[in-house]
Amino acid sequence: MKDIARQSMSIKVESMDLLNGQIKMEAHASATYLAMASWCEQNGFFTSAKFFFKQAEEEREHMMKIFNFLVDTGGSPISPEVTNINHDYSSIVDVFENTLEHEVKVTKSIHNIVKKARELGDIATERFLDWFVMEQVEEENTIRDILDMIAVTGTEGVGLQMIDNQVANWIE
Amino acid sequence: MVEIYRSKYYSLQQAVRERAFYLDLGQKTIRMSLCQLLSLRHKVMSISLESHFDCDLNKHGFEVLLLCNKEHLFILNTMEVIDLKNLVEHGFVALGLSVATEAVEV
Ligand SMILES: [Fe+2]
Ligand SMILES: [Fe+2]
Repeated sequence: MKDIARQSMSIKVESMDLLNGQIKMEAHASATYLAMASWCEQNGFFTSAKFFFKQAEEEREHMMKIFNFLVDTGGSPISPEVTNINHDYSSIVDVFENTLEHEVKVTKSIHNIVKKARELGDIATERFLDWFVMEQVEEENTIRDILDMIAVTGTEGVGLQMIDNQVANWIE
Repeated sequence: MVEIYRSKYYSLQQAVRERAFYLDLGQKTIRMSLCQLLSLRHKVMSISLESHFDCDLNKHGFEVLLLCNKEHLFILNTMEVIDLKNLVEHGFVALGLSVATEAVEV
């Protein structure tokens, strides 16, 4: 009775809905980092701009990873609508603080999907998200390190320019 | 043809040998692949029922539904939308693709 449907799709529709939500979130992150790159360019933080251009690309890759997973599992990936991108920041510190906040939100969202997938008995989705769980640990750590560096360097005098130069250490 | 779920106005059937689904919407029956059924689910679940109770958002309480790459067009009233949402929810549970337990009974 269940065969055709199950043969055509290997994850649960509830997981698919959550993953489509995550696609949206990664797209939003990508667009947010692009806005940050723009802010950095306009305010003379050229190394940080480079950092955020790269982050924007990475977030898009995350999005495509989920998109392709939905294709592979016979689901229906939805191209995301991205709205409400903030372009206003009061300082470079503000930019990085917002970045950390954003990454923590993404981490929570991914953990939530892992928990739901576990409840649903959707092992494929749970396993698929392993990579994202570890990626988030790394991303949060990177931004925390940058914020630590900012705290040590200080924002007085040439501090801001030194901060920007040191961001290069986190661009591979 | 095996019936998967029947709601008040509609029914969803499965034709195993054709590997296809048939959705009987009263006015006509349409043949769908699972992809098309997923797309229908997305459209139906995206309909905001709240808007049907707000004259500014949805003055006449109708919903236009375009299915199967614009091959079919349906106009549904509020009760029909509620019924179709019900069919979609229970249909996917019956298909084994959803484990929703809090599906709303209408
Ligand atoms: Fe990401
Ligand atoms: Fe990220």
